[in-house]
Amino acid sequence: MSGRGGRIESLGVVLPGDKVLQLDSEDCAKEIFLGPGLRRHESIVYATRSGPLKKTSQNIYYIDNYQRRYTPLQGQFVVGIVYKKKGDNYIIDIGGSEYALLSLLCFENAPKKARKEMRPGELVFGQLLVAERDMEPELVCLDVCNNAVGIGPLPEGGLMFTVPLHVTREILDPQSTLLKKLSSLVECMVVVGSNGRVWVAAQEQRHMLAIMNCLKLLEVMTKQEAEQNVYRYFKKFLH
Amino acid sequence: MAQHACELSFLSRSDGSALYSIGLNVALASVNGPGDVKVSNRLYNRSHLEVCYSPSTGHSMIRERALESVIMRTVEQAILVHLHPRTAINITIQEMQSDGLALSASVNAACMALLDAGIQMKTTFAAVTCCITPSGTVIIDPTEAEIQESVAEATFVFESSGEASVLTAHQDGRLSYEDFKKCLHHCQVASKDVFAFYRRMTEKKYQNEIES
Repeated sequence: MSGRGGRIESLGVVLPGDKVLQLDSEDCAKEIFLGPGLRRHESIVYATRSGPLKKTSQNIYYIDNYQRRYTPLQGQFVVGIVYKKKGDNYIIDIGGSEYALLSLLCFENAPKKARKEMRPGELVFGQLLVAERDMEPELVCLDVCNNAVGIGPLPEGGLMFTVPLHVTREILDPQSTLLKKLSSLVECMVVVGSNGRVWVAAQEQRHMLAIMNCLKLLEVMTKQEAEQNVYRYFKKFLH
Repeated sequence: MAQHACELSFLSRSDGSALYSIGLNVALASVNGPGDVKVSNRLYNRSHLEVCYSPSTGHSMIRERALESVIMRTVEQAILVHLHPRTAINITIQEMQSDGLALSASVNAACMALLDAGIQMKTTFAAVTCCITPSGTVIIDPTEAEIQESVAEATFVFESSGEASVLTAHQDGRLSYEDFKKCLHHCQVASKDVFAFYRRMTEKKYQNEIES
């Protein structure tokens, strides 16, 4: 998560139950946004997760923790696995506690003749239209203008792997140069889902494995270290 | 007080895990969730919690069921269960080594594993066990031998907020009211060290974030 050109301030590591902010009546004029990992009780904001507390320049406070389990959130792009087809919907596994629904009509060129059927086990990249704690998640493969914009069923022949959620955030950070460097080394297609699933396609299988291992470097080293050393590691992974 | 040690994300396939030791007592806790739940256990407004405790030797029997129940009721007070309706959170605890403090080590391991998994909680919780000798001395984190010699043994689980309220109390033996208060007070003071230990472990986990 990066502020568009803004700075992100790190306010130290907190544990659940820690008082993060005291909202006094004098601060009423300021707008404060509470992101993931924080909850408000009366005039005090508490942390609900352990991790580094961060604040963006637009006064968004959040906890940037390391987690593997995905909880669906509206608007996120996720890589799903087709479980089965049920009536007018596909049942998709997005890694959360429940399966998501993907309507047959939510693809570009939806008229029956042009529709290509997805079989169980195939991958689809979609956006979460509905993701509430009380409702079944729903995926769509369209944007508001009914265009595909790069989302939809993923072609065969790629490699999908799972990474912790914070790694996907680091890869997708606009200021990160990791993907740019990898794409300069080898021609590839990388699809990153916010549910921790990453899909890679390249000409040769060893290229795909090398890209996978380079992205997995972020699990064990900092972003800066990974970006500085990616060329060296890529050459090593290729053999 | 005995030496506490912990290793987070010990298991690669769990959502969160912690190998926790207090002296010679070692417990491994693994947390998975919020995930899928059987229809019979599905609750419309909250998450279903399951605790599974495995002893180091022998089969799981009544003693283990009792421990599971104590740990479940403790954990239930800390996790924000209403954020995840119709899901299940599974906590599995494997007793690796026991020297009298199985309950404390398991509860603390469960807390660290929940923190590792990123499950949203109201507060962290820490268990402290003490025993009182026939001469009236309170020993924090006693060994099995010290517990055998003692008059009574008590385990308290505290929450991390200012007043350090008691979430769970488990007592065995004959304690006068004054001695009970003495044990509670000693455990409350010791719990501050356990919370400081949790904080150090969490800072160690995120040290890359702090430096960059």
